Amino acid sequence: MNILLIYLLLLKATATSFSGLTSIPVVRHDFVENRHVLTDRQLNAAVTAGRTAPGANGLYIVSVGYFVAGIPGACAGCLAVMTPAFLIIPMLRYLGARAAQPAVKSAIQCVMIAASGLVVSTTVPLARDALISPLAIGIAVGSFLFLVLTRKDTIWVVLGSAAAGLLGRLL
Amino acid sequence: MPPVSLKRLTWIFVRVGNLTFGGGDPTMAALQSELVVTRRWLSAEQYALIYALARITPGTNLVAFSAAAAWQILGWLAAMLAVVAMTVPPSVAVVLLTSGYQAFNSNPLAMAAIGGTLAAASGMMATAAWQLLRPEVRVGRRLRAAVIFLASLGASLGFSMSPIAVLGIAAVVGMVWRAPE
Repeated sequence: MNILLIYLLLLKATATSFSGLTSIPVVRHDFVENRHVLTDRQLNAAVTAGRTAPGANGLYIVSVGYFVAGIPGACAGCLAVMTPAFLIIPMLRYLGARAAQPAVKSAIQCVMIAASGLVVSTTVPLARDALISPLAIGIAVGSFLFLVLTRKDTIWVVLGSAAAGLLGRLL
Repeated sequence: MPPVSLKRLTWIFVRVGNLTFGGGDPTMAALQSELVVTRRWLSAEQYALIYALARITPGTNLVAFSAAAAWQILGWLAAMLAVVAMTVPPSVAVVLLTSGYQAFNSNPLAMAAIGGTLAAASGMMATAAWQLLRPEVRVGRRLRAAVIFLASLGASLGFSMSPIAVLGIAAVVGMVWRAPE
């Protein structure tokens, strides 16, 4: 797959989302459903890699690029994460005051709610691929509760779930 | 308070961006401590404005936040260095983690451990969805949150509507249907 095309598709995903993981539906639509260059399992692994590494969760895009085209794909993914960030500077200069206007504020709130629904809709097919045993379901539920209730680092969820998966296999 | 310099500012982004796990919110909280509380290179008001704008900037909130905070302190070069500091080293970590996944793909024990982390990814994504929704689940806003959440879920799952269209419709609805503060 052409690197420029990978960059543009990943840029489309990052530039049309408003937080790290809300770009997943667009990525899945373009790379899994339309072009068949990525599997749901790889997308799941990419999300895990993005959330395991330090920094922004949105860096899972780098892993997607790597799965599709190796190191050049990862570079395209990294650039796709960087590019939209600079839009904030003209916004900070000229649009900062308008963010407090009731209509704009309300529109942003509703976009965040819709983004939540989109993330859930993307979680469904990914979960169908990953949650194939009672242990896996237990890990998913436990991870959710751990993160919501304790606000601890995601690294503990990743380490704990890997240990649970390993123990499940050994026992 | 140490004087601000390009080197000092970039080092803070390198250090915080590569040692803080858990995504954007914990990292932005760490940057608040470094830039606002400890060094006072940003005022609390500037931090609040940048934080709010990062939420509405397309792309990754944390990277946009870093660009704006660095730009506010030392201009365009600082913004570019901050973005590189917050993305390139963690991207190397992401590639190493991904290549590890591919290398261990044929090892049953490694795959069992990876299977555990893949199951956890579903839980992590559910957490991300909840964290987006949670600020809107409060008295006076619950009906709007429920309607938009279920409509977007249904439009995406039931009708395969493009995510961009779903978000665009939600923005238009938000301009018309305002919830009390």
